[in-house]
Amino acid sequence: MPSRESLRFVLAALMIAAAVALFTQLQAIAGFVAFRLFGLARGSRPGAAVEFFVFETPKVLLLLTGVVFVVGVLRSYFTPERARRLLAGRREGAGNVLAAMFGVATPFCSCSAVPLFIGFVTAGVPLGVTFSFLISAPMVNEVALVLLFGMFGWKVAAIYLATGLGVAIIAGWTLGRLRLERHVEAWVWDIQSRPAAEASKRWADRIVDGRAAVREIVGKVWPYVVAGIAVGASIHGYVPTNFMASIMGRDAWWSVPLAVLAGIPLYANAAGIIPVVQALLGKGAALGTVLAFMMSVIALSLPEMVILRKVLRPRLLVAFVGIVAAGILCVGWLFNAIL
Amino acid sequence: MKIEILGPGCTRCKETFRVVRHVVEQAGLDANVVKDESIERMMALGLMSSPGVAVDGKVVVSGRIPKADEVRELLGIA
Repeated sequence: MPSRESLRFVLAALMIAAAVALFTQLQAIAGFVAFRLFGLARGSRPGAAVEFFVFETPKVLLLLTGVVFVVGVLRSYFTPERARRLLAGRREGAGNVLAAMFGVATPFCSCSAVPLFIGFVTAGVPLGVTFSFLISAPMVNEVALVLLFGMFGWKVAAIYLATGLGVAIIAGWTLGRLRLERHVEAWVWDIQSRPAAEASKRWADRIVDGRAAVREIVGKVWPYVVAGIAVGASIHGYVPTNFMASIMGRDAWWSVPLAVLAGIPLYANAAGIIPVVQALLGKGAALGTVLAFMMSVIALSLPEMVILRKVLRPRLLVAFVGIVAAGILCVGWLFNAIL
Repeated sequence: MKIEILGPGCTRCKETFRVVRHVVEQAGLDANVVKDESIERMMALGLMSSPGVAVDGKVVVSGRIPKADEVRELLGIA
């Protein structure tokens, strides 16, 4: 008798096959919907907008589901508990690099920032290394990377990954150099933390983790993604290019610090900010300026600062925000200069 | 049996509390379900991502909202 497990396996394989088939036929389907079903003219504005929307929405959602599932499975290996054990007592430098990379793969929600911070520093993870992790975890995540890849291609996604890691590593290292340990609230050091016993997981458990990630993450972000693509589609069809070029173009040097400042009070996750990114880029804003804006919105948020104020004294908090903002600023200018 | 729901009071923690309490009530289990929002307790259990669930001082779920079926299995309810 086929077990429930193997039945599920067959079902999953069928779904993947269907998704791949759909993926390869998307261009044809999009053309069919836009030009045959809706009877829009090829090359017309509404035609271009509808074709874009029908093509992009399933593409990005399929991509997102696939990547979130894979990352969900991988994440069962990259728990914060394991990151802590690996980073404890590590020297700065290599520690910062490792922490930033771990931050990419480890699940993070700003509500966990404080327990994570305390768990790390009390277990002997250097302060600067802890910061590298705290900067990279929200900023460089799989949702941001998939959306950037799906909408702007692999180059933009790769640039975001590399510069995001760079900011996390350098800002964390700099904060570590400043020796600000005494500006951590004193009660933090009194907390007794103990390493958790790690449950060993079977493959079936990891698959469950992957599916839970899809349910939780894709279930939450899909409306933003669809809205973002709709905005992108209308821009694609209607807005004249170079509309934003004068305000956020590469010649306006002051637009980068302005973008970083504007991003701080705004709070959104990667899925929420992509529509805006799409709109700005589509209207001729420079890539560096837009990347700086996006990083600032995700990495420097007012609510997270309020949360972190519980464990960081004002001077350390200001140093943290200032150094991260400076890093983001450099990313913006760098890309406006070289691209 | 003592079941602790841990986390600094975010919506995901509240949802976890709701799921666990629902399972316990439905099964008529003689268990004390408490919600502990203190960082100290999380650290003492070695938990760094919320929400978390601990049964008799042992962490069984960390960093996600468990499903009702999973909670039943963890609590040994058939």
